[in-house]
Amino acid sequence: MLIDPRTFRRLVQARAMLDGDLTVGSIARQVGMSPTQLIRRFTAVFGATPHQYRTEARLACARDALAAGARVTDVCFDIGFSSLGSFSALFTRRVGAPPSVYRRSVQVPCDLSPLVPGCLGMLARLPRNFREASAR
Amino acid sequence: MLQIKLTSIMVEDQAKALAFYTDVLGFATQMDFPVGAYRWITVAAPGRDDLQLALEPNENPSAKAFQQAMFEQKIPIASFESTDLDADYARLRERGVAFTHPPTAAGAVKIAIFSDTVGNLIQLHQKL
Repeated sequence: MLIDPRTFRRLVQARAMLDGDLTVGSIARQVGMSPTQLIRRFTAVFGATPHQYRTEARLACARDALAAGARVTDVCFDIGFSSLGSFSALFTRRVGAPPSVYRRSVQVPCDLSPLVPGCLGMLARLPRNFREASAR
Repeated sequence: MLQIKLTSIMVEDQAKALAFYTDVLGFATQMDFPVGAYRWITVAAPGRDDLQLALEPNENPSAKAFQQAMFEQKIPIASFESTDLDADYARLRERGVAFTHPPTAAGAVKIAIFSDTVGNLIQLHQKL
C-alpha cells in the first residue's frame, strides 16, 4: 500500500483522536475517509485497528498508573472503562496478571548493566512510582 | 580499532516488532532474552552477524515523545540497504507493508520509506 502525504497526515490526526472518546466512525468522518478506508490504512501503518490501538494505549496507561501506585478502581474509570469486571478481564488477558496482582508485583529493573544501551538503560533510571519521583 | 556492531531503534511493542522485522522484513533473530519486564531482542540480516539491530521498548516517556515526533515529521529513524530496491518494494507491498515514499532517485542512491507498524518510519536505500 502506498500512503500519500495527505493521507499520512490524516492517519496521524486519527491516531491523536483516539485519545478521546470519539467512535471510529466519527473519527473517519472527521479525517475524510470511510470507516473501511480508515481501518485498512490505519492497520497497515500502525499495525493494529483503531479500536485495538486505543485499547492497547489505554492498557499501557493502566500499567503505568498501577506501577505508580494508583488504585485499580480509579485506573479503570480514569482510562475510560465503565465496568471493573471487563477492565480486569481484559487486563488479565493481555498482561497476564490481574490488575491488583500486577500493581503489587511490578518492578522496573534498576541494576541493568551499563553495557545495555538506549531505552532500556533509560528505563533503569526511571523512578518506580510517583512517590519516588517526587522525592527526587 | 573501533567497530560498529550494534545499533537500536525504539518500538511500541517488542513482540509485534520482532514478528514484523523477522516474518515481514526477513531479518533473523540474533538475541532474545528477558530483561526485567522487557526483552533484549536483536535482529540481523540472515547469515550475517556484522551489525545487529536492537528492538528496544519505547516505554520511557522521553523515548515515546521523540519517536512520535520523528514519525509525525515523516523522518525515518533508520535506513537499511537493499541490493534491489524495486524488488524489495514489490515484495514488501505484497506483504501489506505501507510505504509513504515509493522508490525515488535521490542523488547517488534510490530510496523508499515505509512504516514498521511499531511507531517508526524506515528508509530503504540502494546505491546507484
